[in-house]
Amino acid sequence: MKSLLVSPELFLNNGGIARILRLYLKSLCENAGAGGRVDSVVLNDRPGAEPRLGRYSDPHLGEHIACDRRKLTFIRQTLRLARKADWLVCGHLHHLPIAWLARRLNPRLKYALVAHGIEVWRPYSAVERLALRDAHRVLCVSDYTRRQILRFCHDLRPERLVVVPNTLDPTFDSDEDTRATAQPFALPRILSVGRLAATDSYKGYDTLIEALPAIRHEHPAVRLRIVGQGDDQPRLVALAAQLGVTGLIDFLGSINDEALRAEYAACDLFALPSRREGFGLVYLEAMSHGKPCIGARAGGVPEVINEEVGQLVEYGNIPELAAAVMELMRRPRDSEIVRQHAASFAFPVFSQRLHAALT
Amino acid sequence: MCGIAGIFSPTLPPADREAAVARMVQHQAHRGPDDRGYYSRGELTMGMCRLAIFDPANGHQPMSTPDGRFTIVFNGAIYNHRELRAGLEAKGWSFRTQCDTEVLLAAFAHHGPDCLPRLRGMFAFAIWDERERTFFAARDPLGIKPLYYARQPGAGLIFGSELSALLVSGYLSREIDPASAGEYLAWFSVPAPRTIYQGIANLPAGHCLAIDAHGTLRTRACWKMPAPAQPGRVAGNYQEFIHGLRHQLEDTIRAHRVADVPVGAFLSGGMDSTAVVALMARAGGARLKTFSLVFGEAGYSEQASARLAAQACDTDHTEDLLTGARVAADLPQILASFDQPTGDGINTYYASQMARAGGVTVALSGLGGDELFGGYPSFRDLPRLQRFLPFWRKLPAGVRHSLVTRLQGSSNTRARKLADFLSQARDLHELAALQRRVLPEGQRLALLAPEARRQAERLGPTHPMLDDFASELAGADPFQIISGWELRTYMTDTLLRDSDVFSMAHSLELRVPFVDRVLLEWLWPQAAWFKYDPRRTKAALADATADLVPAALRNRPKQGFALPFAKWMLADLRPFLEETFSPGSLAACPWLDATEVANLWHRYTTQSDPRAWSRVWTVAMLVAFANRRQA
Repeated sequence: MKSLLVSPELFLNNGGIARILRLYLKSLCENAGAGGRVDSVVLNDRPGAEPRLGRYSDPHLGEHIACDRRKLTFIRQTLRLARKADWLVCGHLHHLPIAWLARRLNPRLKYALVAHGIEVWRPYSAVERLALRDAHRVLCVSDYTRRQILRFCHDLRPERLVVVPNTLDPTFDSDEDTRATAQPFALPRILSVGRLAATDSYKGYDTLIEALPAIRHEHPAVRLRIVGQGDDQPRLVALAAQLGVTGLIDFLGSINDEALRAEYAACDLFALPSRREGFGLVYLEAMSHGKPCIGARAGGVPEVINEEVGQLVEYGNIPELAAAVMELMRRPRDSEIVRQHAASFAFPVFSQRLHAALT
Repeated sequence: MCGIAGIFSPTLPPADREAAVARMVQHQAHRGPDDRGYYSRGELTMGMCRLAIFDPANGHQPMSTPDGRFTIVFNGAIYNHRELRAGLEAKGWSFRTQCDTEVLLAAFAHHGPDCLPRLRGMFAFAIWDERERTFFAARDPLGIKPLYYARQPGAGLIFGSELSALLVSGYLSREIDPASAGEYLAWFSVPAPRTIYQGIANLPAGHCLAIDAHGTLRTRACWKMPAPAQPGRVAGNYQEFIHGLRHQLEDTIRAHRVADVPVGAFLSGGMDSTAVVALMARAGGARLKTFSLVFGEAGYSEQASARLAAQACDTDHTEDLLTGARVAADLPQILASFDQPTGDGINTYYASQMARAGGVTVALSGLGGDELFGGYPSFRDLPRLQRFLPFWRKLPAGVRHSLVTRLQGSSNTRARKLADFLSQARDLHELAALQRRVLPEGQRLALLAPEARRQAERLGPTHPMLDDFASELAGADPFQIISGWELRTYMTDTLLRDSDVFSMAHSLELRVPFVDRVLLEWLWPQAAWFKYDPRRTKAALADATADLVPAALRNRPKQGFALPFAKWMLADLRPFLEETFSPGSLAACPWLDATEVANLWHRYTTQSDPRAWSRVWTVAMLVAFANRRQA
């Protein structure tokens, strides 16, 4: 099979969409088969050697073109490579009209959209609807996302929308060494990971901070460690100061993969009570370290977190959030069951699902 | 009809549990004055009080299967219990009573939760499986009967038919949830799954709840709206539709009349209740008793229409004059029968009182007709707004922002509500949800104290079950979407909840033949234009009962069961409202901004905008409710 992956970015940043699209690249390469080939066009990445590329590709990878944010180049290269391809996998709805155009130039081309989350939970423009209607597959990260797409574009053929849940990065090990580093020096040690952007204030860091006074009442040594950076941080710092919990919170900023693994390994539980997660890859990463998770009963999260591996709370419900933390401390989840749950989202399962969807 | 209650707790001593359930049942005694019973085994105690409708001499609850494995407490009525019984007998079940409870128990024992889609009726029940040590509870598809629950430490659960019964268990806090207060101001009532109290949940309509042997609780939808299009099941033309509708209406009336006690009907004089009464009268039996509320104020009373309908159907008709002075005098009792605040429902309180005093134990009402046959203005207005949204979205963001800001600053409530539509709604689902909001968002937030406001902002102006209802209505046409939202929100959370609470306050079983699974499943896929004609309100219902309902009633515009509150609030009810909005009373509501609330009342008394009454009354009921709790 000859396929073309079109992504907004793969290696420029470490966001959730980029991380999952790397795994699409890896899976497409692995499933290319004899004589198969995978090309890749990336809009935002910078040209030049990318040391991590080897981890996510194999000799089936043909051309890999990073366009350094030049949109015309991106469109031109996509159309050129699509002429030789059987499948075009489009990593973002914004670029789907290019796939539609590519199909006009190459009628045997089929194209698929990867639908991640909030970017598709909205009404579509006429061009987007046209491109969506012609898509042979829409690969939805969760059933919730699938339902949202059908809600806003109800003339799509439902059988073309397939749920392919996100997966763990197999190169992101949670090995024995990191298990050994789990030291409960602060109980409970709550970890949260994500962007701290004002536009992403739905992530619910503020609700975690607001729950801290109640949690501290029962667990005076509680610590909240937040990984990530963004322009919302000053507001969160001010909120913590106002509630008198500044000393309980560590803003760790952006950290590398190794440090992040250590954080996952050392925490007692992971919490991201976000209102609008399409899936929430970070929950899977935490669960791969055997850590129970708290998420909000919203978006695709209930498809990832259940009572055996964590707790779901109502978004914005501070007493319920505090109670969930205390409940997980009182009744810890079996870390082996949590790991097994994460394993059900392992890369080989994902790769098989993707392969089945495209054949 | 009954009240049920129970506690599942691996940690509480049985004696404490039993005493608590006895208190809960006693507190609901008005729901079932005829009998009482308890079951206590292992970690579970259940109790119930019964209003005997079927086989009054038998049917004691809790009821167990002969082998003792399953035990049920059940509130409601299963209208097709005789058909279900015949089917179960064919499969080898034998029955000791003529009661629907025994049939429901056998159906669950035989089919498990799969029995739910076979049930026709209104129900909330709980079943304990002694062998598997699992617990199961469910609520009917459209939420006619209520079920509240709260988790307890150690995977425990407390449940009951009324919130106030859960509170007297002694294991739950009476703390009002500021977020729920905010939701109440938005929706006229607190939408499920929240309740007004912290830590107590309302099982959504059509949902079931299960606790497995490990103590894990799961809730899920066990009934969904029918498929929007069902080729082969729809009428080919209008005549065929009207013929089919008449058959379905007769069928639902036949099912809802079944009882071993006297049955009557509420008759407002509107098309819905008139159709119900006409079909009941046609079905024969003893002379039907009908009941109407009438008002002294001109322009509100539907006395003439109700009398005409009663005459045409030859019913034994009773009228009761409702005045502001009477409502003012009865408010303490009315408030005492709330278990959550509501901005509606006073009419049901008085109609139920009158029906019970008039000698009936069961009454039928026309509730649900507006939702099924497009009786609300939303059916006309929302599709227009929906067509406008794509053009609106094409305007530059700055222009949209500036227009919305201007509308939000207007003193006109309709302009501010339009601002909410334009700034919040992205599709018909969101329009249909938002149109049921009582207060414009800006005004609602202003009425809340800072912390409650922050929570309200986090929850946002959208309905808490937006995603569930939107996906349930996937692929539906605009009429179905609006009908679905009216059924799922205002009807379930406000009308049906008020109907249950206020009819039960007088030990009356209120039945709603339009809110019927079988009728809905037949009607749902029919062409929208058969069901709804914007030029003739309730045309389908009128045409289907043309031989029974006088033409003068079939052709008059909708009025509904309206009360002259706007006038009463400035006269007889004014002392109550002055007291309610006084600083002392508002002090019991720390989640409200007292100054802003007092201003709301002040503006109402000075600006004489009669349309504002429901907003002011809604807030007053919340404040009065908070003070009632403190008493």
